[in-house]
Amino acid sequence: MTAWGRFISENRGPLLVTPALAVLVLMNIFPLLWSFGLSFFKYRANRLQEPEFIWFKNYFKVLTDDRVWNRFQTTAMVVSIDVLLQLIVGFLLALMFEKQFPGRRVLLMLVLTPMMLSFVAVGAFFRYYYEPTFGLLSQAIKSITGEPFILLASPAGAIAGIIFADVWMWSPFVMLLVLAGLVSVPKHLYEAAEIDRTSWWRRFWTITFPYIRGLLLLAILFRTIEAFKLFDIVFLITEGGPGTSTETIAVYVYRVAFQYFKTSQSAALGYILLFVVIVLTNLYLYFVRRRAEEN
Amino acid sequence: MKLRITRSLALLAGAAAFLGAAAFGSIASAKDITINMAVPDWPPTRIMQDLANKHYKAPSGNNVKLVLDFIPWPNYYEKLAASLTSGEEKYQMAVSDSQWLGANIEGGYYLKLNKFIDADPELQAVFKDLHPNLVASYSTYPHKSDNYYGFPQMPDVLIAYYRKDLFCNADEQAAFKGKYGYDLPCDPQAMNNTDWDMINDFGEFFRRGSGDTLAGETLTDDFYGIAYQAGIGYDFNTMQINGFIWQHGAGIWDETKEPDGKALGVVNSDKAVAAFEHYLSLLQHMPPVVKTGTMDIFKVDELFRESKVAWIIQWIGFGESALSPDTSKVYDKVDFAMMPGLRADDGSIIRWSNIGGQPFVLTTWNSDEVTQEALDFCKWWLTSGTQTMFAKAGGQSGLRSVHTTEEYKTYRPWNHAFGPSLDWQKDVWHIPEFFELLVQQQQEFDKAITGQISAKEAMDHIAQFQDELLREAGRIE
Amino acid sequence: MARRRREIGKAGWGRTAMSAVISFIYFFPVLWIILTAFKTHTDALAIPPKFLFTPTLENFANVFSRAYQRGGEEIDTHFDLFFFNSIFIAGTSVLLALAVGTLAAYAFSRFPLRGNDTYMFIVLTTRMLPPIIVIIPIFLMFRVTGMSGTYAGIILLYAAFNLPFTIWMMKSFFDEIPPEVEDAARMDGSSEFKVFFKICLPLVKAGLAATAVFGLILTWNEFLFALLLTGMQTRTVPVAMAQTIGGDIGVRWGLLAAIETLFLIPVVLVTFLLQNQLLRGVTFGTIRR
Repeated sequence: MTAWGRFISENRGPLLVTPALAVLVLMNIFPLLWSFGLSFFKYRANRLQEPEFIWFKNYFKVLTDDRVWNRFQTTAMVVSIDVLLQLIVGFLLALMFEKQFPGRRVLLMLVLTPMMLSFVAVGAFFRYYYEPTFGLLSQAIKSITGEPFILLASPAGAIAGIIFADVWMWSPFVMLLVLAGLVSVPKHLYEAAEIDRTSWWRRFWTITFPYIRGLLLLAILFRTIEAFKLFDIVFLITEGGPGTSTETIAVYVYRVAFQYFKTSQSAALGYILLFVVIVLTNLYLYFVRRRAEEN
Repeated sequence: MKLRITRSLALLAGAAAFLGAAAFGSIASAKDITINMAVPDWPPTRIMQDLANKHYKAPSGNNVKLVLDFIPWPNYYEKLAASLTSGEEKYQMAVSDSQWLGANIEGGYYLKLNKFIDADPELQAVFKDLHPNLVASYSTYPHKSDNYYGFPQMPDVLIAYYRKDLFCNADEQAAFKGKYGYDLPCDPQAMNNTDWDMINDFGEFFRRGSGDTLAGETLTDDFYGIAYQAGIGYDFNTMQINGFIWQHGAGIWDETKEPDGKALGVVNSDKAVAAFEHYLSLLQHMPPVVKTGTMDIFKVDELFRESKVAWIIQWIGFGESALSPDTSKVYDKVDFAMMPGLRADDGSIIRWSNIGGQPFVLTTWNSDEVTQEALDFCKWWLTSGTQTMFAKAGGQSGLRSVHTTEEYKTYRPWNHAFGPSLDWQKDVWHIPEFFELLVQQQQEFDKAITGQISAKEAMDHIAQFQDELLREAGRIE
Repeated sequence: MARRRREIGKAGWGRTAMSAVISFIYFFPVLWIILTAFKTHTDALAIPPKFLFTPTLENFANVFSRAYQRGGEEIDTHFDLFFFNSIFIAGTSVLLALAVGTLAAYAFSRFPLRGNDTYMFIVLTTRMLPPIIVIIPIFLMFRVTGMSGTYAGIILLYAAFNLPFTIWMMKSFFDEIPPEVEDAARMDGSSEFKVFFKICLPLVKAGLAATAVFGLILTWNEFLFALLLTGMQTRTVPVAMAQTIGGDIGVRWGLLAAIETLFLIPVVLVTFLLQNQLLRGVTFGTIRR
């Protein structure tokens, strides 16, 4: 083996990872670090003043702002309900498609289409579905009660409306991942279980679950991360209203960054958000690893 | 940090351009100059592109190409703000909402025009001819100072759209007179003379349920009397509420009185609270979507075009789609009048309203040559000939020599309301902090509109917030 | 109750019917958008809603050319270009992410670095921030490198955007392959190259297909970066689609629906073609540890 060849075989890992890391560093890490640095300055991107180093003042300011805490509470509620429902719906859909039946391929496509839609269309049409005069939901209810149904009039209704749209759009994502795991469970394991007359729950937990665990984790991880970034649906359906009741942290970050142009403060807020998400996702990973070790 | 890069790059680019110009300047006498302009994608800018393509020849003899980057309205602000702040220096001109002036001037993006105006009698004539309220709103920063930055591209005001088939219907007129004791206004002249009390009557009178009769026809769905903007997005309730505030003799925080102008006690004065309560009191006659606090100008427009409401307040910019059979179910049943106001003791109507529309501006990073070409374009745009063509195609002109002519009123059915309305226009803040003021105010108004808090609470919150923010910014002492 | 035994993996007719009903209900909001695309303006917001109507193709024609002003001539809307841009940009960036990401995933799975998990996690964090936070530095970088408004810029950005998911997804597939399979091949004298391409890749075909589909879906509708970093020539459909909302009119329902319907076709087609791979799942389950 030549020296070159040895070098390659000894450093296979780093070499294979390098192109991916290069792209990530260029397009993702650099901007991240840039805004991290910025979060210690007093700086607005649309002002001529030079940035001024102010240590942790931005973080202090953000963390003592009632608005921020309020938006975090809204986000926590939306994210937890949203992801939980996506998991349940996605899982049920996956169970539905687990078995072979005629038309399965076409029906599966029908269920997959929501997540292929553009936010602009989903936002505009869901706003229309919920709208009391023309909307389908209101029309359907009005034909029974005689009164228009105004879903978005109350904070609770508005949150429900947003979660419903997001769950509808992204449960297929969970479904697809779970399904990929489900169909890979070898049939002979089920046959054996059938002979043993084990309960459905036990069969699921001991046979099925190990096969979907990894992909399920991936689904939770990515849906949680995405849910924290929930922006377009909110902005297009309720614009954060009524009042501020559906203003998620992502919407608030957008306002601070691009409407108020408090560039460095938005960076600080972004990093606090990043910290929260990292802690949360690490908790997931910890629990899953522990379960994996138990098995 | 960013700025230094910006400046050095600008220097480099400038040097390169200079070298390029020196090398090629002697070869070709007529130069190709491209002016990139960021514009929102809608008819007033499409018409401008069309007119420029067909009729504009640069007086300098250069081949000037006007390239408009048509950006959808919903995201226009982000795209423009990102482009300006990033320092990519992509656009030589831009259409800008008047509220954005302060932020983008403080950022150093919009070019101050005074020295060009001082040197150019033609431009001076243009500014003399423009309606002073338009100059104040679209050109000046600080607001109402003598520093000029913009030219009107599409001036716009709020007016009333109404269903003439309903208001002029004999049965409805008789019923209305019987109930309220005065005539239901029918033609635009009569409709010009309406106050909010009458609007309240319209709202109550034209509210019908499915199965009721409206102008001789049996309805199959609910019908509503009136609608105006009450949406949380952007400025979609402030624009209407400000009108009420000014009409009631109250005020918003006055940036021209900085640093002595107060927010506390002004913004939440008894009169301002009464004005907001007045605004809220009319909402009960509006379509149910108003209860969600998302009845923005687009929803109002849709409800009207779909024949769900008899009378609305809307920007003139929406007029064409109300009259087009392709988009409107009531295209042949619409007429227009001035926005109503508050009846004064002497019987006259106080009509203060918030101005809409957009100026266009020049950016600061252009060579003198490009700046001159851009100014020449503005001058061409603001000649009475071009403005007349624009108005005939559906735009509005801010030139008094154009919009006060009798002929102007014949171009489009709403034009009669445009000129007189201009006298009653004021504008919301132009300071760089305007967006933060606006968002908080929109949200508090929205809470009151959706019944979460009272008018008084909303105004108190707003005044408190503005006081804190403006003190921190050094604008209130 | 004694259940009739049937072959495992096949559903009975009751379950089939129920699945069909649920699928159609789930699909209904999309169906409504597609129906709206074929409606005239009068029908689009009709009360009560119209399920039966005379379809029109006018909305589809208007996607590509229409009059923007009263009495004006029809102008090319450039939507043909926008569709091309969307397909080209999404396609290229997904393939790029797949190529680069699969290599990295293989390495993370087979030749763990010191602090492997940390690297994996760092890869993930890049997706956690709201994109608005990083938009200004990205803008700055694009300006300095001259990538603003170019295909290369947005493709690279999307590839980076897709990488975290690609790497995590592909790693979890590689992890499922028992190392013995490869070791056996190595014993036979296969080169590393051959082991990867001939042994490993075929085993994760389903994973590749699934990752490609997910990547495509996430990229296909990306909005913010596309809005801010593309120019007139590189604009994608989701950005241009917003022109049907606001401005001089509420929403042009028919036009919006027509654009969305057309825009669904490519991604639905790709997903449908890759569906078999998708559903084959992790086929090596039988030889699992």
